[in-house]
Amino acid sequence: MKKTILALTLVLALLLAGCGGAPAATPAPSATPAPSAAPSEAPAGNAAETAPEADEATAAASPRAAANEISIGIAQDFDSLDPDYMTAAGTKEVLFNVFEGLVKPNSDGDIVPAVASEVVKSEDGLNYMFTLRDGVKFHNGDPVEMEDVLYSVERRWKGEDTAAQLAALSVIDSLSADGNVLTITLSEPSNEFLAAVMNAYILPADYDKQETSPVGTGPYRFVSRTVQDSLVLERFPDYWGTPGRLDKVTFKILESADGLVLGLQSGALDLVAHLSSDQTVQLDQDEFNIAEGSMNLVQALYLNNAEKPFDDVRVRQALCWAVDKQAVIDLAFDGYGIPLGTSMFPSFSKYYDESLTDYYTPDPEKAKALLAEAGYPDGFEMTITVPSNYTPHVNTATVLVELLREVGVKATVQPVDWGTWLEEVYSNRKFQSTVTGLTSDNLTARKLLERFGTEVSNNFTNYSNEEYDEILAKALRTADDAEQTELYRQLERNLTENAANVYLQDMADLVAVRKGLDGLTFYPLYVLDVSTLGWTA
Amino acid sequence: MTAALRYILRRVFLLLVTMLLVSLLTYLAFELVSGDPARTMLGTEATEEQVQALRHEMRLDRPFTERYFRWLGGFFSGDLGISYSYRQPVWGLISGKLELTLLLSLISFVLITVISIPLGVFSYRFTGTFAGWPRTVLNQLCMALPPFFTGILVSWGFGIVLKVFTPGDFPGLRNDFSGSLRHLFFGAVCLSIPRIAMTVRMMRATVISEMNKAYVRTAISRGNDRAAVLTRHVLKNSLVSVVTFLGQTLAELVGAGIVVEQVLGIPGLGRFLVTSISHRDYPVVSAIVVILAFWVVLAGTAADLISQGIDPRLRLSTGRRRIGGAA
Repeated sequence: MKKTILALTLVLALLLAGCGGAPAATPAPSATPAPSAAPSEAPAGNAAETAPEADEATAAASPRAAANEISIGIAQDFDSLDPDYMTAAGTKEVLFNVFEGLVKPNSDGDIVPAVASEVVKSEDGLNYMFTLRDGVKFHNGDPVEMEDVLYSVERRWKGEDTAAQLAALSVIDSLSADGNVLTITLSEPSNEFLAAVMNAYILPADYDKQETSPVGTGPYRFVSRTVQDSLVLERFPDYWGTPGRLDKVTFKILESADGLVLGLQSGALDLVAHLSSDQTVQLDQDEFNIAEGSMNLVQALYLNNAEKPFDDVRVRQALCWAVDKQAVIDLAFDGYGIPLGTSMFPSFSKYYDESLTDYYTPDPEKAKALLAEAGYPDGFEMTITVPSNYTPHVNTATVLVELLREVGVKATVQPVDWGTWLEEVYSNRKFQSTVTGLTSDNLTARKLLERFGTEVSNNFTNYSNEEYDEILAKALRTADDAEQTELYRQLERNLTENAANVYLQDMADLVAVRKGLDGLTFYPLYVLDVSTLGWTA
Repeated sequence: MTAALRYILRRVFLLLVTMLLVSLLTYLAFELVSGDPARTMLGTEATEEQVQALRHEMRLDRPFTERYFRWLGGFFSGDLGISYSYRQPVWGLISGKLELTLLLSLISFVLITVISIPLGVFSYRFTGTFAGWPRTVLNQLCMALPPFFTGILVSWGFGIVLKVFTPGDFPGLRNDFSGSLRHLFFGAVCLSIPRIAMTVRMMRATVISEMNKAYVRTAISRGNDRAAVLTRHVLKNSLVSVVTFLGQTLAELVGAGIVVEQVLGIPGLGRFLVTSISHRDYPVVSAIVVILAFWVVLAGTAADLISQGIDPRLRLSTGRRRIGGAA
């Protein structure tokens, strides 16, 4: 009975929150992690397939099917198209089809050769030899030369433009070219080096119009862009690899959640990713398939460990005992989502320790006892600061308020806009708690774990644990993969046991795909590969 | 100096001062709110060093006054600057959106004017009768309808069921002019419904109060037809306040279109403003805000001139009484 009342209150609260008419956005974190991984240790992408089978070529198929093109709706505008300044996750997600590095990720999360046809790593792990692939062309028709490759890698490594540098490339000691072989020498071995190379896109040397008409080597090339309206790509006929199936792909920007749904219903759009469950239920099942992947992010109630009362481990643990993750998933996400217990998600199967998920089972009594022990028998007041444009995080915070009330903690939700969140919460660390998702456009576990080291600059939760710092230092030093994996797992356990944050879930990624369209492929990265999409004849 | 010339000069002066103040306030507002454009651009993974380098490149490390006057100087020489997040000239980004938003506002305005004035007079006829009751309810309902909701209803009804236009797929003026107009028309319908309701109510109230005035009683007692009095005298007098109200409406419409632009997928200025604010894209925001300020003053001036055309009494005291009143 009590649960029913709670559920009803929450539903009402969410309805009211929904009426705010805020421009809802699907969660596309503006984060920009630089991926990193060695090919050997790629996570098995359990979210990698799930292509909705097109059971029939429906009569209601999109008018674009005949022209062999599609239109995809996205919830936020692209930022700069210049790969050096492209920081929004939503831009990288799409331009993944236009730009390639010497190596690129595949849908299993492996790093495979791209502009380079072969990569050889020396015994000591200090030298990487990249052999350029024959016949790779830029979208402007020019062949890719060693000069272009040197230019492209160098500018991201130590170019004059500091803002464009990739921190992960700073391990490079020198570059040398010999014929069609580029040798990169590192100052120390690095398991994450290849993934960093993946993000150093190969661009034509000294071409300065990337901003307005980007040129890369990917399966699709840029046609046009209208700011805040659309971006058009077309198949690149001279692509070196498997060519794209569709002739033309148009991305339409519609910030409003309702606008996206209406666009699908009206036939203006054929595919929209990152939908919420209440958006998908509005769609006609005869017209659309809903594919479910995972966002590959760690959504949690992140706590400022340096701020009272969260500097006390007992208080943090109490919150963990108080919060029923499944209730959050059921109430705010209609049951879609995978509960998590630490800063790691299932796509990284090698590192993921499932046993940590149920380390804390919902137990309000235990939570109250711990709070009393810590000196808060009557609970306390706390603020949850959330970025207001990410509706899922706002909804989660609303549910958390109700769950925490059960143990006497009076939480209030404080929505702030993204710019403020980034400045106050993420950079200045002036907050008590926040709900957000930490991404992993990263093919190793490193980015998810490194950020909790005491001295690390992006440790916005101020987590500080001596044991953690020691294991982390050891894990980053070792070149042995098995040992590193074991150390990463120890880090995860440390985060759970010390209740660094209240870990919640890996959010589901719901994609609406018009029937007749197939080939949707999920990556363990935040990318949307359009080259595999096509209409069934 | 003639009265007309003085009036024009006064208006131009008002326009300049308004735009200057608005731009200064915009800059000040950004100075006060938290959020750093460089950090917003670079996202969560940027190092402090990178943020500082970009701040330097964007001149954000310069003092506030220097940045403002540099912008002002650029503005007067026709250079609106470069957008932070798009790294392209601001004017090129907003010009195409400006025409759509203006068109959307103008269509809404025409709808409001053409529908609400006759409807206001018509609804006066029902005052106190039984038929007036549902009218009041309907009017209240229309006023309370938020544009995002009408946007969804109209998109669903005309877009998905009747397929008169395709929500989410704005064709673009250059590609398909009539299709674009149709799309904008439905946006304008959503935008104008609550304002039509407001104008009707206002029109009706003014007509009622005019009808109770002594001159109307006198005219009717002298044997004039009630309807003739209404059209010849009352309507004209009522229009003055309605025109002022419509002037305000015209000014408001540009901003009010944001939600409709978002729901129907019209790539207008309002949407762009909202996005640019959250990206802390100062050059774009300043430019749009100044354009909106210009529009507001212009709408006020137009309303003022029309009022004077209708009511000669206002002409005698040009400028002194009415100035700024409509803005």
